[in-house]
Amino acid sequence: MGYVARRLRNTGAIPLGCALAALWVAPASAQARIFTPDSFEFSGDVRLVGVDGEKSWVDGGFGKLRSGSDGDFRVQPQLGNISLVWKPQFSWSLGAVVVAEVQGGQRTESGLSQAYLTFRPMRSGKLAFSGRAGLMWPLVSLEHEGADWHVKDSITPSAINSWIGEEVRPLAAEATITATLGAHKLRATAALMGANDTSGTLLTFRGWALHDRTTLAFNRQPLPPLDSYIAAYQAPYTHPLLDVGPGFAHRPGYYAKVAWQPPAPIRVELFHYDNMANPEAVDANLEWGWRTRFNNAGLVANLGSGAELKAQAMQGRTRMGFPEDGRRWINNRFRAAYLLVTRPFGSFSATARIDAFDTQNRGSDVDEEYDEHGWSAMIAGKRDWRHFTGLIELLHVWSENGSREHAAERLRQGQTQLQAEVRIHW
Amino acid sequence: MVRNLLCALVLASAASPLVAAPLNVRVVDASGRPVRDAVVTLYPAGAAHPAHAGGRYVVAQQNLQFRPFLTVVPVGADVSFPNLDPTKHHVYSFSAAKKFELKLFAKDQSRTVHFDKPGVVALGCNIHDQMSAFIFVTDTGWTARTNAQGIATFADAPNAPTRVAVWHPYLRAPGGQVQQAIAATQRNLGFQVKLRPPPAMAMTDY
Repeated sequence: MGYVARRLRNTGAIPLGCALAALWVAPASAQARIFTPDSFEFSGDVRLVGVDGEKSWVDGGFGKLRSGSDGDFRVQPQLGNISLVWKPQFSWSLGAVVVAEVQGGQRTESGLSQAYLTFRPMRSGKLAFSGRAGLMWPLVSLEHEGADWHVKDSITPSAINSWIGEEVRPLAAEATITATLGAHKLRATAALMGANDTSGTLLTFRGWALHDRTTLAFNRQPLPPLDSYIAAYQAPYTHPLLDVGPGFAHRPGYYAKVAWQPPAPIRVELFHYDNMANPEAVDANLEWGWRTRFNNAGLVANLGSGAELKAQAMQGRTRMGFPEDGRRWINNRFRAAYLLVTRPFGSFSATARIDAFDTQNRGSDVDEEYDEHGWSAMIAGKRDWRHFTGLIELLHVWSENGSREHAAERLRQGQTQLQAEVRIHW
Repeated sequence: MVRNLLCALVLASAASPLVAAPLNVRVVDASGRPVRDAVVTLYPAGAAHPAHAGGRYVVAQQNLQFRPFLTVVPVGADVSFPNLDPTKHHVYSFSAAKKFELKLFAKDQSRTVHFDKPGVVALGCNIHDQMSAFIFVTDTGWTARTNAQGIATFADAPNAPTRVAVWHPYLRAPGGQVQQAIAATQRNLGFQVKLRPPPAMAMTDY
């Protein structure tokens, strides 16, 4: 109980809970729809997974996929992600989204995925305002959609959006303004955030990954084997939802985004994130503040005949620890990019994606010997039948990661994964 | 007797001064491809053909889209807006021809709006940015939309000098409209218009 209470306190769940409780007891307006059938959504999937290569990061390895093997091609049925979404409406403009999730596979866990309030008043002519506050993903991913944050065109998201799902889900208060200027549409979002101080831990020690497991609130993510001198000051896990240091959000971070839709079938997005964490702060469990900043650029283009191109590129840096000889213990510059093309053929759609990623470490403890670079290629097919969606996906990922050598594993590893999935959404 | 007959003929020609005949208007884009769903309106000199309100007009919200995308209605029409989605919609228009907002919560819930002025009414949903549709409110019966071949046909267009207007939601021109004047005897007319590409997909909104 003490542990849970500390987690709640550290993550600011108490302010969030108080806000929800206040709404709960507020006099219900005529427009309130709190427990009506249409305020609930259900989605879930089962999948058949065939994979070769190294042990998955989910099991504490360096494997980049949700499932892993011991080298041989292994096939097994798995429970994917099951989500129950509650979308109460307290008034016409004020609502909430609460998502509970079960994630199956090589490690089954359950918990809270998102919980936030939404505010969307009626727009006034060419301007529209909206806001969100609570536990939620920032609007970075071009691959996810829906309150359950499922991947739209494939099973496995890109390296960028896999990492967003793992380590970039803060407690935030976000405001958005959308302006229509002639045939141009502009949208600007700004947010203050907290409880995301450890963002960058998994990315540094494990490297990039490609999977659709997301962080659940208060749950922790395993780290791969750490060098003994690093293990002396770093916990063997990370809680992505954590405020390291006294008080809640005493050093609030922020993110901002602008999106521009010109009178052409394209949209361009720019996103900046800075968690403002203190890289010298550490808690009793040896979880550190990681000062993480990144920029993300996104492009969506309609290619005609329903075909769509999506691309994202991200570059950032994360620092942790004390300076030694002018360098902090960890100073990791990370980069990734992908290009995705999807095209419908009636009720069927085909998707292809290529991905590239790297890290460059210049810290005093984690240096260039730990650098990573790699790529992946994916093709997927999808078909919708009313409440069901069938997907099949073939993905190959190759990477060279110096951390593997420090754990007495092969420096260069490739993995191929074939998945067939049936989703239900209600 | 002859004078009476002449008088009757003069009166008849004054009451129906314009003999009607079919008129075809073809609309193509800059590449010569037919433009579907362009609205063509005739304004013949010295003739009127008021549009009569009547019939049932429906703009549904289904699969997070308005259906149909374009509706042509006469002035005075009542249009219903049923919500066929399991989610709520907040339909609005800020157009000068009709400003309104409808809060539609539940599936199969519907509201009706009376359109009493001619003009173009752009529809949106305050919740789902990707939803867009248009209602063209017309005050003349000489209004038609182009088919898949880009052709609008008027079976009873008067033989009179006529101003022909073409409107399309993505037409690159002031008000999305271009016009031509034709002679009384001209029975076929072509428009080549420049279209903007339709807006890209909606901005991400979870």
